[in-house]
Amino acid sequence: MLKIKKNGHILVVRLTGEVDHYASLQMRKEIEEQLKDRAVDRLVLDFSDVTFMDSSGVGMIIGRYKTMTARGGQVTACGLHPPVDRLFHMAGLHRIIDVEPSGRQG
Amino acid sequence: MNNQMELTFSALAQNEAFARMVISAFLVQVNPTLSIISEVRTAVSEAVTNAIVHAYGEQGGRVVLRAELDEDKVVIEVEDFGRGIANIEKAMQPFYTSQPDEERTGMGFSLMQSFMDDVKVVSAPGSGTLVTMKKRVQEHDAD
Repeated sequence: MLKIKKNGHILVVRLTGEVDHYASLQMRKEIEEQLKDRAVDRLVLDFSDVTFMDSSGVGMIIGRYKTMTARGGQVTACGLHPPVDRLFHMAGLHRIIDVEPSGRQG
Repeated sequence: MNNQMELTFSALAQNEAFARMVISAFLVQVNPTLSIISEVRTAVSEAVTNAIVHAYGEQGGRVVLRAELDEDKVVIEVEDFGRGIANIEKAMQPFYTSQPDEERTGMGFSLMQSFMDDVKVVSAPGSGTLVTMKKRVQEHDAD
């Protein structure tokens, strides 16, 4: 469901499959576990392998955004396929999260 | 052609993907575009998640997914028998959620309305919720 890689202060999370309510609960838990490392000040969410996302996924992203901004960090998203990109726009996520055009980060 | 399906499943989060898979498979017969399939899957996912998260919560229960194809249109119903909605108008307001601490965005009904042609909600406290959504799922050539 998640492929996690840490490069110093950057945490790169590659999400895979369907990001719905069920998957979001697991993803939230796993990412928060990694973010216990207070040295992490940049979270990169890679959506290249995401085949579906609904509003539960949006909630999970906003939750991680709150965690990161509370410590003065930032969140970047990349690899958005058109349906995910559409959801980002509808939820206003583009306004609070840096979105890279595509490809791997970190 | 008129074709119907009905599926009852437990209100468990792991069944959200199952419900999406079933509606996609049912619609394949009318050969909809990927974009239409994606919109219907999202709308169904939102309605089913609402039933699981808001109608039942921890106690669990049954969710019914029905679909009826009539030529180029589909009518989809998602029904639960849970706690119901006291104020439907408020529940349907964009970004309203009764569970902000659970990372719910309150976008569910907005997405259903954006992705489907028509959405109706019938509900009352204690008597469950019925969400009815309609959409034209097949493009016709203009001739």
